[in-house]
This record gives sequence, structure tokens and C-alpha cells, in this order.
Amino acid sequence: MLLKPKMLSFQSSKNVLSLTEDLLVRIYELLAAESDRKSFRLVCREFRRIDSLTRRHLRVIRIEFLPILLGKYPRLQSLDLSACPRIDDGVVSLLLTRVGPGSNSPSLGHWAWGLKSLVLSRATGLRFSGLEMLTRACPCLESVDVSYCCGFGDREAAALSSAVGLRELNMDKCLQLTDVGLAKIAVGCSKLEKLSLKWCMEITDLGIDLLCKKCVDLKYLDVSYLKVTNESLHSIASLLKLEVLGLMACPLIDDVGLQFIERGCPSLKVIDVSRCEGVSSSGLIYVVRGHRNLLELNAGYCLSELSTALLHQMKNLNHLEVIRIDGARISETSFQVISANCKSLVEIGLSKCVGVTNMGIMRLVSACINLRVLNLTCCHSITDTAISAIAYSCRSLVCLKVESCNMITEKGLCQLGSFCLLLEEIDLTDCCGVNDKGLEYLSRCSELSCLKLGLCTNISNKGLSYIGSNCLKIHELDLYRCTGIGDDGLEALSNGCKKLRKLNLSYCNAVSDRGLAYIGRLEELSDLEMRALHKITGVGLEAVAVGCKKLADLDMKHCEKVGDSGFWALAYYSKNLRQINLSYCGISDMALCMVMGNLSRLQEAKLVHLSNSTVEGVELALRACCARIKKVKLFAPLRFMLSSEILEILHARGCIIRWD
Amino acid sequence: MDLKERVCDELQKEVPKGASSTNFNTQHQQKWEDPSSTLDYSTRIEPPFQAFNQTSQTQSLLLCNNQIKVPMQDGSINDLLQASKIQDWDPSAMLNNLSFLEQKIHQLQDLVYLIIARKGQVLGRPDELLVQQQQLVTADLTSIIIQLISTAGSLLSSVKQTLSAATTSLGQCGEFGGVVFPSSAQRLNDGVQPQNAGGSKVSEPPNSIDITSNNGNEQNNHIVEEHELKDEEDAEEGENLLPGTYEILQLEKEEILAPHTHFCTICGKGFKRDANLRMHMRGHGDEYKTPGALAKPTKESSSEPTIIKRYSCPYAGCKRNKDHKKFQPLKTILCVKNHYKRTHCDKSYICSRCNTKKFSVIADLKTHEKHCGKDKWLCSCGTTFSRKDKLFGHITLFQGHTPAIPSDEIKVAPAGTSDGATNKVGSVNFNLSSYVSSESEVQSSSMDIKGGIDDAVGYFSPLSFDTCNFGGFHEFP
Repeated sequence: MLLKPKMLSFQSSKNVLSLTEDLLVRIYELLAAESDRKSFRLVCREFRRIDSLTRRHLRVIRIEFLPILLGKYPRLQSLDLSACPRIDDGVVSLLLTRVGPGSNSPSLGHWAWGLKSLVLSRATGLRFSGLEMLTRACPCLESVDVSYCCGFGDREAAALSSAVGLRELNMDKCLQLTDVGLAKIAVGCSKLEKLSLKWCMEITDLGIDLLCKKCVDLKYLDVSYLKVTNESLHSIASLLKLEVLGLMACPLIDDVGLQFIERGCPSLKVIDVSRCEGVSSSGLIYVVRGHRNLLELNAGYCLSELSTALLHQMKNLNHLEVIRIDGARISETSFQVISANCKSLVEIGLSKCVGVTNMGIMRLVSACINLRVLNLTCCHSITDTAISAIAYSCRSLVCLKVESCNMITEKGLCQLGSFCLLLEEIDLTDCCGVNDKGLEYLSRCSELSCLKLGLCTNISNKGLSYIGSNCLKIHELDLYRCTGIGDDGLEALSNGCKKLRKLNLSYCNAVSDRGLAYIGRLEELSDLEMRALHKITGVGLEAVAVGCKKLADLDMKHCEKVGDSGFWALAYYSKNLRQINLSYCGISDMALCMVMGNLSRLQEAKLVHLSNSTVEGVELALRACCARIKKVKLFAPLRFMLSSEILEILHARGCIIRWD
Repeated sequence: MDLKERVCDELQKEVPKGASSTNFNTQHQQKWEDPSSTLDYSTRIEPPFQAFNQTSQTQSLLLCNNQIKVPMQDGSINDLLQASKIQDWDPSAMLNNLSFLEQKIHQLQDLVYLIIARKGQVLGRPDELLVQQQQLVTADLTSIIIQLISTAGSLLSSVKQTLSAATTSLGQCGEFGGVVFPSSAQRLNDGVQPQNAGGSKVSEPPNSIDITSNNGNEQNNHIVEEHELKDEEDAEEGENLLPGTYEILQLEKEEILAPHTHFCTICGKGFKRDANLRMHMRGHGDEYKTPGALAKPTKESSSEPTIIKRYSCPYAGCKRNKDHKKFQPLKTILCVKNHYKRTHCDKSYICSRCNTKKFSVIADLKTHEKHCGKDKWLCSCGTTFSRKDKLFGHITLFQGHTPAIPSDEIKVAPAGTSDGATNKVGSVNFNLSSYVSSESEVQSSSMDIKGGIDDAVGYFSPLSFDTCNFGGFHEFP
């Protein structure tokens, strides 16, 4: 798709230019991947103009470019600032007063007029005055995400509540938010349809009650982890349009509360009561009895046993698509009942369930042929027989998790590779029966994008080469403690899996600088974990730093042989680095200062047991990065050696220090 | 102390004395009069006890306690039964009443005949006579109506009574004072009389004595009133009184605002409560010390329990005014007073703590002062609440109101928005209504305590919502 315009331009430049603007816009809109769009706008000025005119969504990684970008894209509807947590009130006021088509023109802040969606996740610096300016400047705002804004409290909620058109709001982990702030939101944004309040620990029944009375259009409500009681469920039951209800790990909710849900919430489709200590199977019976059209039931870790009474009620759930009963005891006959009645099941979660046998699984999959996701983590008695049955019946399987199922061998994987060609994700962590042959079979699943092979000590470079040559779409690969993997395997990988974004090489002792050089070819790599690679030196790290431009998360704990040259390269090239773990590395004071000072996106650093650096060096490094660092882990005795001044500065900037 | 035990104790004391029974009895009674005693039975069981003593005292001296108890109990129970039997529908009394009514109607008929006949004969008569005649007729008619209603009423309550326990039936004896059932009233008065006589020995009693001497009496009444209250509430629960089914009274402004409502006819001194007036009256002569004079006057007039009285506010245009389209009557005089002061009068009482809140009813001020300064839950309209749930209830009720965040006005104001401030101006009225609601609650609870002493009308406290609080709600958009 992306080559087309290029090809055209080579053949006759007139053809491209003769395409009218609306046709170009259509072509542009067909480009799905961000990288393709990037190529498109790099073709010529005209194409770039099309890009800037039609672009609706913008995710900014560096706040420095925000003013220019906002000026360029006048049709922006969605702005994601979650990657630049440095945004604060001053920046917002600057953006609204200075950014426009021409400075001092009346359309200053014009970019905000059409904005419908705003992601401000982790923007801890943004307080009520900034939020107030933003909500006033964006009259069309429909969706706001302020999750993990630790400073978000009642006053911020009050500022946000002036966005009267708000339909979606995510306030996860807004720890300062109380009932008062929620009341502000509930009264101000009465059109709310989707609200998430996870971990807003100050919220009580009063707030939820008011919310349910004021925002009657709510379709999605998540109150997970809150200390709300059955009273809240009583209020929630009055929401006529509610479809999704998240009650995960609400310790004070019990079966009595679920009785209210039985009689209320007529539109309920999805309910999550996992990890609710007070909920038992009788509570679930109430829910199931009241809602025959339930699509998703998530009851992980709250049932000790899938009782016959509950099973009897579940017979009526003909539309059920997803069920998760992690941690429950389950008998073979219950599988029979489920498969006979819940024919539209798409996902089953049986993680850590006791009593899952080959026979049970065979009965289950005999009727549930539409199954796409199956989680059998820690079902130790599963063998190839069950895997074969799954593969044979569920041809559209997309995700299979069989972590710690030790008895699975290449035979099972052979069946999977033969029938489940749509498989995208498989977790084989700690399945020591997996070997090179098994990987060969598995590599037939060419759609595979996520492969977890941690602790599979029986695989070698040969097995990895099958993956590298066939599974070209892989973007996540976990090779944790695969000690049989060496540089050759990585070579094969780097040749095929160009889309790899996340790679775990920790404790793969055989990997050397040559292997890292291959890793450096993976341009998309953003997440690299390479703990305790004792063979690698600065040369290898330099190769990675130079090659992997998108590297954002690097964990190189215990890579003791890496010298300063590697860290210099890191400081110079890895401008996108966001998290780094340098614990037990031999980094010198100078290199540490360079790394911490030069990496302008760095937010989190773990700096424990740095053998070659001094207290002064750490202090200098902290001073160099104190403006942007959000979280730092330091050696505990340093608490008394570092100057109190720097600690105060870090604290004032909202940086969290963990002492180890 | 248990009644039985007490009786036995007394009997044992008698043994060494061996004195004449009558003497002893008076002594005995005084002991029982002890105002702190909470046993209501004491006075009522007296008559049978007396009788018992007189007849079989010598015998009882020889008998052991247990054996005495039996006749005692029987006696008292018999008496109770008797009383309740009388209370139960008594056909003969009813017949008496009816025949009396018949007579009266005939008399009235005769009178009207006479008037007609005279009219025909003499034409040039002065109007004064005609007016007098009319008055005579209306007076007679009203008395007939009252009689009729009371007769019917006795039937009604006796039906209820069969369902209630013996104790409450005792209590009800007081309710139907002299008029309908003279026999039972007699009984009661017998019991009550000596007490009052004892109390009235003090010529000009101060308030405290007034209360104590009345105490036993009031306790009796208390039961009665509780019972009445229940009845009233029962009736109120389904209260959608159709217009015309109740009597509307409208007091004048001056009457409502008068500090005293009860005046001594002799010296003109004013009182807030009629009980106090009655106590005062005792000082004017022995004729005011009779049980009849000391009994609650409302009792006698309220022998027609089925007439429902409702009150109208004299303020034209008020929803509580009888001419209003959606007229909602006030239930009691107290309601009228409080409503009129709260709604149509200046708020002259200012809270000394906050210097902002004003009240027209002093009780409202007092209750406010109790909580003033404790209110930390603030609404955007300026109303404060002492409890978070009250604030949230308020916000649920009123559209657009939000909780105000303390100090947010100070900090936000420079930035240019203060929705709190704009709201404030518009909704001072809410202040009023919400306060009223809270006050009325407090008042009603305090009323319960006063109730025993206050007159019956005041006892039905304005607990009901329609009297004050939510009435205002509709008026403010």
C-alpha cells in the first residue's frame, strides 16, 4: 500500500500530481499503520499537506514539539499526551495563548476547538488551573483520560466538570479524588456514559449513589478496588442503561449486594466480580438468574468451587461469550454442562483451576468450537491429548495460555501448528517439554505475534531459526532463561522478525556482543530486557543504542562488563529511552551523568549498587535529570549521603524515590 | 417495684398498727402519689383496694402474702374488665343518647314552628328578636350535631378498642371524659381527685410544683395522648383530605403573633399554655380547684374526635392560604405559628456566632446555634451541612447544585470563574427552605418531651413534611 505512491512518482510524476486532493485523502485514510503514514508524508510536500489536513489523532512523544505539531494539524480530534508527563499548567496556558495559525491572531488555541478526545494519563503536573483552561478551550470534549494523575483531586475534578459534553472519563488511580470531586463530575457531566474509578480509594457509597442518580446514561462503570459496600450496588442497580460493571476486588461487597444487581441493571452484559472476597457462588447465582443475556462473566479467584447450583443457572446463559473462573475447583461434568449450553463461548479462563483434566477439556471443546481464547495456566495435568483436542476442535483459536503445563510436548504443538493457523499468542513459559521440533511445528502458525518461551531450556538456536524464518509478525518474544539460545539464534530472529517490539533475553548467558549487534537491526524494538548477560561489553550496547532508535525501556541489571563506551553511546543515541535499569553495572560517574542528563525522555531509573560510581556522581546525575525524572530507585545508605537539597528538589518535583 | 409486692408490703406494715382502715388509706394514698413513681396503675387501682381493705382487713392480716395477692389481682382485673366493658360499645348508653337527641330535635322543631307562626301574626317586629331566635336555633343545632358525632365517635373508638390491650383501654378511659360515659369518667375522677387536692394546698404554685402535682395526671394523659397520636397518624397517613371533609380555621395575624394565647379571665394575665393558666386559676378561688376545672378543657371539647380541624394561613397568596389553588392546610396551631413566622415575617434573630444566619423563630435560632460552626460541608448554593450525607442528599435533590470545595473560591476566583458565587445569589431561598426542614425535625423531637404538659393540639408536632419544609421546594425552580 505504501509503495504505490512512490512507484507512481517514479514512473511519471504527473500522475501523482494529477490526483485530486480528495483522492489523496482517500488513499491516506486507507493507511492503517503509523509507520505507513509516516512514509506517506515524507513523499512530497503535497502529501505532507494532505497528512496535516486529514490527521485526526496525534500522540506526542516529546513535549518540545507540541506547539509546532498543534499548529500544523488543524483538524485534530484526538490528542494523546500520555507519553509526555511533563506537561503542566504553564505549558497548557502557553499552548492556548501562543499556538495558532499566526501569532496574535484571534484563532489562538484554535487546535483545541475541535478536540473530542484528550489523554492526559500520568500528567502529574497538570493541576486544576491548567485543566480548567483546557476544558474551557475544548468545547467539544467528549472523552478524557486522567488516569494515574496522582495529583488529581477534587479541585481538578471541579475544573473538569465544566466539560458538559463529556461522555467518557477515566480516573483510575486518582488517589486524591473524594466523593466531593465525584459529585462535581456527576453534576457537571451528566451525559457520562463511561466512567472508570479504579483505585480511587477515597470514594464511598455516597459518591456512587449520587453518581447513579445524576448520570443515568452510564453504560460502563468500573469501581474496582474501591471500598464501597452493598449500598453502592443498590444504587448501581437503578442504572437502566448499564452494560458493563467492574467490581474487581471490592472487599466489602458480598452476595446480598449482588441480589440488588439481580433485580436491577436490565441492560447488563458484562460483570466482573473477580477477587471479591465476599462473593460466593450464591451471589453469582443471583446475577446469572437476573441476567439471561449476560455476555461476559468474570469470577476469577472468588469461587472456591463451581457449584452445581450455579452450573444449573448457567444453563440459561445461551449468549455467554466470556467466562473466567480462575482458581476454582471444577469437575469434569461441569465442563459437559458448560459446553452443552454455552455454545457461543469465545473465551474461557481456567487459570489455576483445580480439577482440569484432559477429559474435561475434551468435553468442553467438543461443543465450543468458536473458542478463541483459552487460558489453562497452571493446569498441570493437561497433556498433548487435551492440546490435540483443542487444536482439532477450535480452529479459530487465537490465544492459548498453557504456562507451567509441563506435560506438553512437540506432539501437541504439532497439532496446533496443523490446525490453529490463526493462533496469534501462545504462552509456553515453563513448559520444559517444548523443544526445537516443537518450535518447528509451531512456526507454521504464521500469524503468531506473541510467543513466550521463558524457562524452556530445551530450545536452541535451531528452534529459534524456525520462528525467525516463518513467524514474521512476531512483536513480542520472551526467551527468559533460555540458556540454549546463542548469537546464531538472534541472527535468524533479526533477519525475519523485523516487527519485534519487545524482547526478553535475560539470563541467556550465551549471548555475546555479536548477538546484540543482530538485535541492533531490529528498528522497531522498544523494550529490551537483558539482565545478567555476562559476555556483553560496551560494543554490544553501542550496537543496540545505535540501531534500536525506538528503544524506550532497557533493563541491563548485572551486565557488569559493559564499559563506559556503551553508556556514552546510550546517552548519545537512545533519545527515546524512558526507563532504564542500571543496577549492578560498572558505570562511571561521568557516564552516569551523561546518561541521566542527556536522555531527555527518561522518567524512571534504577540505580542500585553502581560499583564504579561515587555519591557525588549519583548526586550530580540526579541534579542533571531532576526536572523530568518521575521515579528513581537508589541504594538505601545514599539517603544520608546525598545532600538534602537534591532530595527536596526531587520531592518537590513529584519524583518518587525508592530506597533499596 | 412490682405492684403486687408493693401491696403486700403495705399490708405487712399494717399489721403492727392495726389501726382503722380509712385513716390508713389516706396516708397510703399520699405515699403512692409520689410523683417520681412511674406506675400509672397506682391511682386507678385505688378504689378496689380501698374496698378490699374495708371489708376483709382482719382476714388479710392472718393470711400470708401469696394468698392475698390472688384476690387483689382479681379485684383489679375485674375492675379493668369492667372499665373496658363500659368502654366497649354500650347499647344502653347509646340508646340514652339517641333518645336525648330525639327529644332535642323535637324541641327544636317546636321552636321553629313557633317562629313561623309568630312571623305570620306580627309583621312589624324589630329585627333583634329574629336574630336572637336564629342564634337560638343554630346553637341548638350545633349541640345536636356535636352529640350525634360524639355518639358515633364512641362507637368508632370502641371498635378500635377491642383490638388494643387492656392497658391502653385503661388509658382511653380518660379520653372519653364525662360527656358520653359518665360512669367511667366518674371512676377516673375519683382516682385523680385526691391527688390534685393534695397538690392544690399550695395557694399560688410556681411552675415546678405545677408540674409535679400534675405529674401523675399527666402520665395518665400521656398514654391517652400517645394513643391519640397514633390514631391521628393513622388517619394522616392516608391523608389526602378532600376539600370540605375538614373544618378550616384561619387565625388572624395578630392572633398568630400574640405572645400569649391563654388569658386569665379575672386578672388578664397571659399564658402560653393552657395548663399553666389552669394552675394560675387555682389562685383565684376554690371553684377552680375542682377536678373538672383542672382537667384539660380540650378533653371535653374534643369529645368529638372525628371532626378534623385544619388551619389556613391568613397571608393572601400563600400556598397555606385557603384561597390558594393548591391549598395545603396546616395541621396544628403550632404549625400555623411557625409557618407564618418563618415565611411571612422578618428574621429578627441573628446567630451570634456566625452573624449571617437569621431566623424568625427563636427555636430555629437555638438549634442553629447548637450546630453553628460545625458545618463543614458546603454546597455551591451557600448552604452548609454538618454531615456529608445531608449535603449529598441536598445535591441529589436540587439540580445543578454541587459541593463546594473549601478555598476553591479564593484560588479559582482570580482565574475568572466562580460558578459558586453566581449560584449563591440565585439561591438564597434554598437556604431558607433547607433550614426549615432541619429545624422542624429538631422541634418535633423536643415537642415529644413537652407534649405531656402542653395541650393536645400542640402535641401533634409539625413532624409532617407538608407543613414546612418541602412546601417551598416547588416554588423555587
